[in-house]
Amino acid sequence: MVRGDFFILLPLIITGGAAVAVMLLISFRRSHLATATVTLVALGAAVISVICVAAAAPRQASALLILDSYALFYMGLIFAAGCAVTMIAYDYFERQTDHREEFYLLLLLATLGSAVLVSSNHFASLFLGLEILSVSLYALIAFHRERLPSVEAGVRYLILAAASSAFLLFGMALIYLERGDMTFFRSTQIASGVPAWSPLLLAGTALLIVGIGFKLALVPFHMWTPDIYEGAPPPATAFIASVSKGAAFVLLLRYVTLFGLHSGSVQSAAIAAIAVASMFFGNLLALREEKVRRVLAYSSIAHMGYLLVAILAAGPLAAVAAGYYLVAYFTSIIGSFGIISVREGREGGGDAVSDYRGYAWRHPWLGGAFTAMLLSLAGIPITAGFVGKFYLLAAGLESSLRLLVVVLVASSAIGLFYYLRIIITLYGPPEAERQGAAITPAVSLAGGVALTALTFLLIWFGAYPAPLLRLIQAMVGG
Amino acid sequence: MSGAELNIPALWPFVVYSGVVIFMAIGMLGTSYILGERHRGGAMGQPYECGIVPTGSARLRHSAKFYLIAVFFVIFDLEAVFVFAWAVAVRESGWAGYAEMLIFIGILLSALVYLWRIGALEWGSRHTPRRGAEDSL
Amino acid sequence: MILVWLIAVPCIGALLAGISPRGRELRCRGVTIAAFAINLALTLALWIMHPAVLRLAGGGAWFAEFDRAWIPSLGIRFHLALDGLSLVLIALTNFLGLMAAAASWRDITEKVRFFHVNLLWMAAAVIGVFLAVDLFLFYSFWELMLVPLYFLIGIWGHEQRLYAAFKFFIFTQASSLLMLLSLLGLYFIHGRATGVYTFDYGALMGTALSPGTGMWLMLGFFVAFVIKLAAVPLHNWLPDAHTQAPTAGSVILAGLVLKVGAYGLIRFAVPLFPAASAQFAPVAMGMGVASILYGAILAFAQTDIKRLVAYTSVSHMGFVLLGVYAGSTVALQGAVMVMLAHGISTSALFILVGALSERIGTREMGRMGGLWAAAPRMSGSLLVFALASLGLPGFGNFVGEFLVLLGVFRMSAPLAAVAAVSLITAAIYSLWMFQRACHGPNSEGWVIPDLSGIEAAIMAGMISVTVWLGIYPGAVLNVTREALESLRPDITSAVSSKR
Repeated sequence: MVRGDFFILLPLIITGGAAVAVMLLISFRRSHLATATVTLVALGAAVISVICVAAAAPRQASALLILDSYALFYMGLIFAAGCAVTMIAYDYFERQTDHREEFYLLLLLATLGSAVLVSSNHFASLFLGLEILSVSLYALIAFHRERLPSVEAGVRYLILAAASSAFLLFGMALIYLERGDMTFFRSTQIASGVPAWSPLLLAGTALLIVGIGFKLALVPFHMWTPDIYEGAPPPATAFIASVSKGAAFVLLLRYVTLFGLHSGSVQSAAIAAIAVASMFFGNLLALREEKVRRVLAYSSIAHMGYLLVAILAAGPLAAVAAGYYLVAYFTSIIGSFGIISVREGREGGGDAVSDYRGYAWRHPWLGGAFTAMLLSLAGIPITAGFVGKFYLLAAGLESSLRLLVVVLVASSAIGLFYYLRIIITLYGPPEAERQGAAITPAVSLAGGVALTALTFLLIWFGAYPAPLLRLIQAMVGG
Repeated sequence: MSGAELNIPALWPFVVYSGVVIFMAIGMLGTSYILGERHRGGAMGQPYECGIVPTGSARLRHSAKFYLIAVFFVIFDLEAVFVFAWAVAVRESGWAGYAEMLIFIGILLSALVYLWRIGALEWGSRHTPRRGAEDSL
Repeated sequence: MILVWLIAVPCIGALLAGISPRGRELRCRGVTIAAFAINLALTLALWIMHPAVLRLAGGGAWFAEFDRAWIPSLGIRFHLALDGLSLVLIALTNFLGLMAAAASWRDITEKVRFFHVNLLWMAAAVIGVFLAVDLFLFYSFWELMLVPLYFLIGIWGHEQRLYAAFKFFIFTQASSLLMLLSLLGLYFIHGRATGVYTFDYGALMGTALSPGTGMWLMLGFFVAFVIKLAAVPLHNWLPDAHTQAPTAGSVILAGLVLKVGAYGLIRFAVPLFPAASAQFAPVAMGMGVASILYGAILAFAQTDIKRLVAYTSVSHMGFVLLGVYAGSTVALQGAVMVMLAHGISTSALFILVGALSERIGTREMGRMGGLWAAAPRMSGSLLVFALASLGLPGFGNFVGEFLVLLGVFRMSAPLAAVAAVSLITAAIYSLWMFQRACHGPNSEGWVIPDLSGIEAAIMAGMISVTVWLGIYPGAVLNVTREALESLRPDITSAVSSKR
């Protein structure tokens, strides 16, 4: 039994072992290339191990972790995203000098935390995963410790994440008090003769939603997002935007699915309100921003709102829609921050939209890739984002969530405006002093490979989504 | 919790203990309030109530080493807590538990090695192998 | 397979144009023109061969089909099909693409490669729209069309290009999303009723809908298409986009984008929702008449010559809207005829106006005058297309408008009478434009070069096509009749049942 547990936990063991190995590697030989290579190999091995252990799924490994195909699919996604972030980070930190090797150590730990999160079905493992993730993120965000905005963002995240953890813990405690059990399954099942929703359970669930809402940056709990997106080093932002949020979302989806959310209940009304607010405020607030990273921060709030539609839809299409949208969102947001990171690593300077003027003429391939990423975020066809949004709409309509679907459509029409503004700036006339100052090469090998792969996937998933859909259907649809 | 009866006799030492703690805290603060001398004027309103006028800015940069030591203390003491918990059940957990403990200690040890090598354990001098450490401090 | 090639040729062209080396603009232009020429040749070959092809296909309105599984889990197929309606519109697309590429020879001197990539990308998407008979595929092409157009206006446009580009994109994208909702609604209703979840046009055509639902779904499509077609209350984006776009962009907008809207109405909005369309027809026809008059009046009020031409588009597209909802084959054929003729005559006007304003550096008609003496060939061409635009017999526009009025007259004589007023207003604004630009004293003393060789060739080509449409409309009417008859009966039966 124990051996089987070890086998199915292989992805987690590889990642955790790699973190220790990287730590020892740094202590004996500080080499940026070696550290990044070890990280990349470990994350790649973790992806492969996910495929290897898939045959043994589902399996409950100890009381804490469930390794079903749902968890394994998202684990694979998280590890793959980790690979992409590693390559982008290598490109970015190659031009920095100070203490850059630790970034990969923290990245591995954060990835490990996210993987634990998606496979947890017990409050203890939930908290464990969340804290591994959060504590690594504090350091990742404040990684430029000599730059004030970065440190400020780190402290801000520390305080808010700690507060949200407190909410989460309190919520868990209340649910435990009511149900006397910490596993997701038993804490959500309603015994006969007991009123379905006692005040304690309701309050506990509400607090859980608050805690997860912080992580997802849904609207009443979204305040941290723009500053942290702006302050953190771009590769770390890519990680927060994709993996950290994705893992929290996957967890929420699992938990809510177990509850069997009924339309018309207080919970679903609350989540619907949060979704509507996130979609609208995310897109509207993004209009006022002048900095690309802040725009993307608000847009990510809206994207999480879109994803909540899948949670509320809860139909047969919903799980697939959520899975596809997450894949599409991961690809486009990591790609976007990858390009921001590549640009900032070389051109430096501010992050204002106007700083991107003429970027597509200086670096046609990077500009084209950025355009594709933004179009995907906006949901234009033959990009993955369009198919994802299409699926969300289909899932919503299937469950007759008319209001939410209309809000989704209306708010994404608003959202177009700021994506277009960035795109057209990319193709604007370049500023005089920047003209002819194209630095060669535009991107290093690692960054180039990562961005090419992401762009390719983006178009592939958008133009021919059938294989990916089959995979998602098989892994999370059942 | 419904139906959980409160076991009064088992609780009374706790009540007494709480009462003593509260009494002592109030007592110490109150006694000094009643018996203490009071001076007005001079530099008494300033920080450092000893009456010396402070010089320089309050925004000093302390060496981070103090905090490092505190952090080490927390880490290694907490480690001991886990080891104690294991020691209580060492026979029940068997060799598997032993192996798990070894892994746990091993991870902590490698963290210690890491801290050692990056120079976090150095008190004063800064001959660290880290690049660019000088300009970051 | 030839259908895939029709889309693939511009794509390959775009790729080749994109990777042509910096500074070798000539190659880039050559590739673009070659791609359009090859595509045009393919289309014309299909046109000429179509009786033979039709026999092979064994009846039905489709000349050719291409059908592959695409996203099976949702019942989405990569399904292309070509009938007479698609054929003539694809021919128009390729012809105008060729003209736009040639017209941009002098106009576009910066970022040449990216310009041609966008032009070809746009053409590929428009051809895809005309061919797609899977609604998801149609929507994908429909959206794909927007991005290159946005670039064309936003990068190479005139002084207010960003505003115009944003306005255009937001208008059309918001309406497309409404269409997407309708499309999904139709998909689920059909799926629940029959158990077959599919986006296939043929299958969805017979979906039974309750009147209320049908109306809402139809409105989703209608708004999306009518915004593209720029009928009156929803035409707002058009004057800005047309005026600010570069010449090639205006050609594409006037020649293709407006036609795509009309095509959507003919192909999808009406046949998919016959009952709701019949109920809605009076409103739609009212919008058509309003567009005809409003466009004409505003055109007359313009001082910017490009804006004037833009407003004439609103007026002419009103005829198309009128013809589509008149519910007779004659009117429908007339609408298609107006689409083709307007596509060519207005594009030619935009090319001429673009060439003119590039030479004299202003679009204000107040500063023009007396250009006949300075540039006789240019002025002559302008006269020809002004006459074509006002509906002089002998040009394609006349045939189309006449057929539309004929069809509408049978249904509602007053509407036809009001619409016919436009024949007078069109004459007024067309001649007024020509007179102010080319006659009168040359007060500013313009001395400008006449049409260059390329421009003269463009004009010769466009004049011959528009005259050919006018004197031998049978070529178009024959090839489209079958398709239009298969698309029409639903309207008439519904209309007559309503009466």
